[in-house]
Amino acid sequence: MEMRIGQAPGDTRVMMEGISKAFGPVQALNDVKLALYPGEIHTLAGENGSGKSTLLRILGGVIRSDTGRVIVEGVEHDFPNVRAAMREGVTVVSQELSLVPALSVAENVFLGHQQVREARGINWKKTQAACSVILNRLNLDIDTSVPVGTLPQDQQQLIEIARALAFESRVILLDEPTSSLEPNEVESLFQVMRQLRDEGVAIVFISHRMREMLEISDRYTVLRDGRFIDTAPAEGVDSSWLIERMVLKRRATIGQASVTTGAAAPGRVQLVEVDKLRDRSGRVDGVSLTLFSGEIAGLAGLAGAGRTEFVETLVGYRHRESGSVRVLDKEVGGTTRDAVKAGLSLVPDDRRYKSAVLDMSVRDNLLLSSRGAPWVPRSKSQEGAIVRGWVDKLRIKTSDIDAPLKTLSGGNQQKVIIARCLQVSPKLLILDEPTRGIDLGARAEIYEILRSLAAEGLSILTVSSELEEIFQISDRVLVMHAGQLSADIPRAEATEQLVIAAATGHLQ
Amino acid sequence: MSNVGLSRLRMTALPPWSGVLMLLVLLIIVLAIFEPAFISMGNVNNIIRAAAIPVVLGIGMTFAILTGGIDLSVGSVLAFSGVFLSILAGFIPISLAVLVTLVAVTAIVGGINGSLIGRIGLNSFVVTLATLGVFRGVAYLVTNGKTQTVDPGVIVTALGDGNVGPVPGPLLVMIVIGLIASYVLRSTYFGRDVYAVGGNEVAAQLAGINTRSVKMTVYFVSAACATLGGIMSIGRMESAAPTAGAGLELAVVAGVLLGGTRLSGGVGTIAGTVIGIFFLTCVSNALTIIGVSSYWQPIATGVLLIAALLFDRFRLEPSRRAKKIKER
Ligand SMILES: Nc1ncnc2c1ncn2[C@@H]1O[C@H](COP(=O)(O)OP(=O)(O)OP(=O)(O)O)[C@@H](O)[C@H]1O
Ligand SMILES: [Mg+2]
Repeated sequence: MEMRIGQAPGDTRVMMEGISKAFGPVQALNDVKLALYPGEIHTLAGENGSGKSTLLRILGGVIRSDTGRVIVEGVEHDFPNVRAAMREGVTVVSQELSLVPALSVAENVFLGHQQVREARGINWKKTQAACSVILNRLNLDIDTSVPVGTLPQDQQQLIEIARALAFESRVILLDEPTSSLEPNEVESLFQVMRQLRDEGVAIVFISHRMREMLEISDRYTVLRDGRFIDTAPAEGVDSSWLIERMVLKRRATIGQASVTTGAAAPGRVQLVEVDKLRDRSGRVDGVSLTLFSGEIAGLAGLAGAGRTEFVETLVGYRHRESGSVRVLDKEVGGTTRDAVKAGLSLVPDDRRYKSAVLDMSVRDNLLLSSRGAPWVPRSKSQEGAIVRGWVDKLRIKTSDIDAPLKTLSGGNQQKVIIARCLQVSPKLLILDEPTRGIDLGARAEIYEILRSLAAEGLSILTVSSELEEIFQISDRVLVMHAGQLSADIPRAEATEQLVIAAATGHLQ
Repeated sequence: MSNVGLSRLRMTALPPWSGVLMLLVLLIIVLAIFEPAFISMGNVNNIIRAAAIPVVLGIGMTFAILTGGIDLSVGSVLAFSGVFLSILAGFIPISLAVLVTLVAVTAIVGGINGSLIGRIGLNSFVVTLATLGVFRGVAYLVTNGKTQTVDPGVIVTALGDGNVGPVPGPLLVMIVIGLIASYVLRSTYFGRDVYAVGGNEVAAQLAGINTRSVKMTVYFVSAACATLGGIMSIGRMESAAPTAGAGLELAVVAGVLLGGTRLSGGVGTIAGTVIGIFFLTCVSNALTIIGVSSYWQPIATGVLLIAALLFDRFRLEPSRRAKKIKER
């Protein structure tokens, strides 16, 4: 490590200097620099909208910078597209996965790759063999002929990395690779990253989870508001060092911000009753549950326990096989429309597939669940006031509420979705992995908002893979295992051990 | 490098139909210089009248394509609607027949296309390809293949070909329908739902939108537009031919896509559709003036359709483009 610090720029694998990029009036990057050395995991830290993805997209050839130089292994490049960057050994694995679900693993890994092409088309046998070799390197044991869409999230993530390896990438840019992974999946991704680093690959890593950053990084670069703030090797960097540099002064108290879980008020009412809910696929296998006003319930469980399926059945997205849902003693119908009307609102777990309409404006996205009669004119000025209210309240970073949602950074998109659900004043707000991709500061703010909503009598159900998050905000911990509720514990009695036992089915 | 950034910025800042508008203006200027006859009052009048029916159909088509679907049955529905009206006109006064046709044909066609696609969830391309055949066939059957002469009366003539005061009737129809459609898409919840369904259907559904009913409704809208087109064509031809509007779906889809509506849904405007169809109409009108055989017209339309798709492809921001290319 120490040896690298004094190295001449000639030893860098990638050198970015004076990078600036504006999107219309928004200066996303302003004179930013980044140096990547061979065999390091380099964490790019910064708040939502600080320019991390933009910097990686420039390096990966997805977009071009306005000014600045990109030097890869001593040669200056201006990558016109992703392919050109890949040819030079630089691959970006974007915030949203870009695999083709219907194609097989092997096809995805070698998409667009020259070597597998032969005179008479593509040699799939050879490709599959080559693919297996790469998957072995990643300790992935999967059939290369199955469609990628059928694989779990973490394996899809690794297949994106396999793709990078197929192109012999020496620089791999991972934009929030862990945001959609379960904790154990994160661990296996980290193993692969370490292994690649030891083989000499330079890896850029982005995450909003402090623990992950501190665990995996060899070096840090911090961005704030599109500017380069600092860079340092891992030695001597701790969470306060990072927070100090990432966060603007006004929010410097974040590290300490802890939410006090209020004991549920005595006057609480039964808001929602779920009785033996079962979906058609059998992934939700008879869940009964009562939720009270003024209470935040955290739903824990392992991947595949059926948590997402449960909440999606609750709001009518998945077909109900049997069972009932009642809100304030009134039966709720089986469509999403019925659920929203009855006051059940869901922030889904997967932004790209389930919640963001990227080409639609921030305004329309934010108000997507709100509606009047279908043919009644919408009042643009009234809407504007509502939307701007949320933009201020959640500190959504956007230059124009009529700009398409895709112009916002990932975390800010998520805030828009949360606002969408809050805007309909639900009785039960369900959040499936609500803070996915949201920075530390905003996360604390969202917890505070949830807390105050609960105090106003709302019932909140959050699904989270992070036990920490569950313990931090819940009044009551629910655990699912194999499609059923395996524990329902008051916060005061919930311990990590107890929850894990319930999640693995070892609780009677 | 900065130049590239700038031009890309401009591309995204302008409305999606600005490209085809520029082409249209360019075409008009070039033709005005080399074929002054093109901008004579008479010819402009011709172009407006020729564009009116495809524009009306294109407006309906825009709704369908915005949800990520397509309605290939519009040309056949136009013929069916005309034949329906011509038969009805034998029994009841023409003005009443027009109303009954509008309601009945819209209900029949929209009902069939809409429930198969919206309710049952069948593929819109296949369903409307089938109904393209069905309604054309019905039009042949009930007329026995013969063109029916109709006395269109003042109202239908005004809609299809006549003047209202100094203004061509078809122009008024276009303007009224266009303004209504544009208003619906921009300023009603239904319009927003149309974009949402095409942009991300799962997200729309999870947000509480009844996506089935939105998809169903757009085929009613398209059916209504095609039915109106059939009535206008009677005003124009003073007869109802079972062959009317054959192949029209090509020009209509091409115009909509040229106008910047994305084939996969979620992006597009009525203004773009109107401009796109006017562009195609001007091209075919110009070919006629220059004296090129009319057989070239579908070829020109087809080529322009592919050009529109290519243009759309390359207008996409590079990240999307990369993804799309990967998807091939
Ligand atoms: N295509 C675009 N058009 C307009 N503005 C954009 C575009 N892409 C990014 N921006 C803006 O640039 C800024 C930086 O965005 P970027 O996506 O790089 O942030 P980020 O650091 O990755 O944030 P996050 O942690 O939320 O993913 C944001 O203010 C964003 O709104
Ligand atoms: Mg980002």
